[in-house]
Amino acid sequence: MSWRSLSNGRKTNFFIAGLTVFLVTVVTVIFSLAQTSEKAAAPAAAGANRPAKPSPEDLEAGKKIYFRKCVWCHGDKGDGAGFSSLRLFPRPRNFNPGTFKIRQTASGELPLEEDLLLTVKNGLPGSAMPSWDGILSETEQKQVEGFVRTNLVIDRKFDDPDESFTKIDYGKQVPSSKESIDKGREVFMNKGKCVQCHGNEGRGDGNLTQNDEFGDPIFPANLHKCWNLRGNRRDPYNPRNIFREVSTGLNGTPMPSFADILTPEDRWNVANFVMSLCPKRPIDPLTAKPLINFVVGSKFIEGELPTDAKDPRWNDREPNFIGMGSQIIHKPRHFTRTIDNIWVKSLYNKKEIAFMFEWDDRTKSLGSGPPPAEIQEVPGTVIIARVKPEVYNDAIAVEFPTRWKELTVPEKPRFIFGGDPNKLTRDEKSTDITKSVDLWKWEADGTVKAFTGQGPHDLTLRPASSQRIKAEGATFADGKWSLILRRSLTTEDKENDVQFEIGRYIPIAYFAWDGSNGETDLKMGLSTWSYFILEPPMPRTAFVYPPIAAALVVGIEFWIYTKFRNNKSNRKK
Amino acid sequence: MQKIWIPGAMPIELLLTFFVFLLLCLGLGTLYKRATGKSIHMMIQAVGVWLIAYFILRFILYPPVPISVFSTWMGLITMVIMLYVSSTERGWIEFREPILNMLKGETQIYRGVRAVTFVALPLLVGFGTFNQIKPSVDEPIELRTVHPAPPQNTTVHGVPFTLQTAQNPYRVDDQGKYLPVGKEDKYFGQNAFDPNAPKFLQYVKEGGQVFFNTAGCFMCHGDNLDGRGPIAFAFNPIPANFSDPGTIAQLQETFVFWRVSKGGMGLPREGFPWASAMPPWEQHLTTDEIWKVVMFEYWHTNFFPRTWD
Repeated sequence: MSWRSLSNGRKTNFFIAGLTVFLVTVVTVIFSLAQTSEKAAAPAAAGANRPAKPSPEDLEAGKKIYFRKCVWCHGDKGDGAGFSSLRLFPRPRNFNPGTFKIRQTASGELPLEEDLLLTVKNGLPGSAMPSWDGILSETEQKQVEGFVRTNLVIDRKFDDPDESFTKIDYGKQVPSSKESIDKGREVFMNKGKCVQCHGNEGRGDGNLTQNDEFGDPIFPANLHKCWNLRGNRRDPYNPRNIFREVSTGLNGTPMPSFADILTPEDRWNVANFVMSLCPKRPIDPLTAKPLINFVVGSKFIEGELPTDAKDPRWNDREPNFIGMGSQIIHKPRHFTRTIDNIWVKSLYNKKEIAFMFEWDDRTKSLGSGPPPAEIQEVPGTVIIARVKPEVYNDAIAVEFPTRWKELTVPEKPRFIFGGDPNKLTRDEKSTDITKSVDLWKWEADGTVKAFTGQGPHDLTLRPASSQRIKAEGATFADGKWSLILRRSLTTEDKENDVQFEIGRYIPIAYFAWDGSNGETDLKMGLSTWSYFILEPPMPRTAFVYPPIAAALVVGIEFWIYTKFRNNKSNRKK
Repeated sequence: MQKIWIPGAMPIELLLTFFVFLLLCLGLGTLYKRATGKSIHMMIQAVGVWLIAYFILRFILYPPVPISVFSTWMGLITMVIMLYVSSTERGWIEFREPILNMLKGETQIYRGVRAVTFVALPLLVGFGTFNQIKPSVDEPIELRTVHPAPPQNTTVHGVPFTLQTAQNPYRVDDQGKYLPVGKEDKYFGQNAFDPNAPKFLQYVKEGGQVFFNTAGCFMCHGDNLDGRGPIAFAFNPIPANFSDPGTIAQLQETFVFWRVSKGGMGLPREGFPWASAMPPWEQHLTTDEIWKVVMFEYWHTNFFPRTWD
């Protein structure tokens, strides 16, 4: 069969087919080239894993970038004593000793260039080191990394022949499965003894007395918050990160390398187990943290509301993720809150509403007495000032605008304990009740207090209302608090108590205190105004109209069917 | 599947996608006709084009097309397809033939299809009605003015400032005289930590100290002043992104001075003073510190403040 023997028609067919395929391919290729592809970080120099020495031009360029972007945290000498270091925990890295945590090299060794580049590109989640991806070009990232490595690492030299760079062997990855996770749990509990530091449930509450090589306190990672793990490379659910940390250890911290005690298979199994601890949530690519649920829906149930956090009726819904920031707005400011998120769920019945709060806290804290009347703002962070913080009660609070119904949307009282923002700016007292909030605060000593808030320093306790709020199921176990707050939907004190209504968006804000972190009064973690809604129960009409509509459709179908049958039999005649 | 980015209205990539789509359809159609002598059946043409269009709009275009736009486009495409199949008498008859055959139950297969459709249709209508009646929960929409009109005057630490005329006292050239806006770009990107740095850069460095230490602005506004600081994620409205040309680059220095001094609480109503986490820095900083940190913000982001002329 030769080309010449084909008919003209056939030839044209092949021609058309070929042309279509060709054009489609060309266009597809253009698309793929036009996309910015994910370039892997530059591989280490062939032969040795030793990073190459940067050229003088690159060093100069890197220095310029450093003094524009990095000096403010890492300091002009690269010793981590930049301007921001007093406000941060963990502190910015001191480059001088050449200690780097997140690497692929053996314990005690310097990192590969790839490791440092990935740190610059992805940042170190859970710390203030941001991702420079998209802000610095790949070339700029390489230049500034080269500058830091060459000029700011002083006690060790990357080109010292005595320094080795033994890249870890990842072995064969064990895919996640029930068996792998069970084996991993076994490793976590016994063979690797990870529980001793990371706690029985892995919330980092096992050992709270450790320091890093710089003498600062350091806490084992809370493995339930994989989005906060330093080395997650903005890929929080990838077990490869855990395998790497377990194999290399984190230099300068009490986290050792387990490469000698655990086989690669063990390490993959424990990585799968650790990943199973972290709830799977959609991650916001801009913040590298889970998306915040700005509307919390309260579900209607029949019967009494649960008084136990373990009651299965809470499990109908995923918990809502509420992000918490540090209170740095009003004095006394507090820069290093430890509670960076809480989980919220809500149920209601005909008469009452219940909120369930869960949050991670490494310690159960109870203050030795009532807090002093005036709380001092400590210069620098409590931890970095090496001052042992006063211990206060762990606490959590939720607030609503007292008269949310009378407000013109979207106006609300000021979110930090209420008040008229106009008056507060001028340091005047806010007195309008529609600008007040109803704040419900629970403390670890078991007390629940209801306050009327008219400003950050203006909280008035309402003892009668406090009696109406019931705290139930308050339990602390293995680094986690659970609590249920319950109150009737409406109360007799319409003046000062917030009254709830079904089907309406009610503004809500949350506050949390970690007592062992010196948090009390305005030193706290806080959230912004979000919303909550008592979801209307399913109306009866939802079960009446759909069957009627379906029946109508069946009726029409029947009419069509008989019409065509009649036509057919008519034609047959 | 490759995602195709749509950065603006009708870029080349979007046009090329539809061109490829058109080529595919025409190519396949022509091939089929040449091979069998007939055109592809009208019903198959209609359904095929509709499905491919749906697939492209739903899965290939990126970022995802909003539902309202998607429904509009699919509606238009459906209408055009219907116009096409009904454009000729023969085409229309060919198109409706399978539907009529199904309703009549001409053959075993058609009867089977009819049975399935007649069961599925009422079920779909029933569930559709149920979803409509079921109560749903969506976040309420609140529109905030990002740059509200500033007041004529503001008083900071007891000193009144007229925003139209006030000047930043730290905007100085090497001789210590006022440096007009537009001339400071020679300092952009320079090393503020150089011991021999000119006065302007020394003040920038002090402003940096305010930004990163005294005030701690970076906690919200970020190390790169892009609104992505370590606690930014918890707040709504989100902290301003100074590196975006739509924020401080559009504003006068005195506007920023007002905003920094008075904070979120000092905003007019349309700026949501009840929800803004911006601290009233007057309570924590001196007036000098506020001027210096404003200067630092412009220097770091390589922007000039806006001026009257």
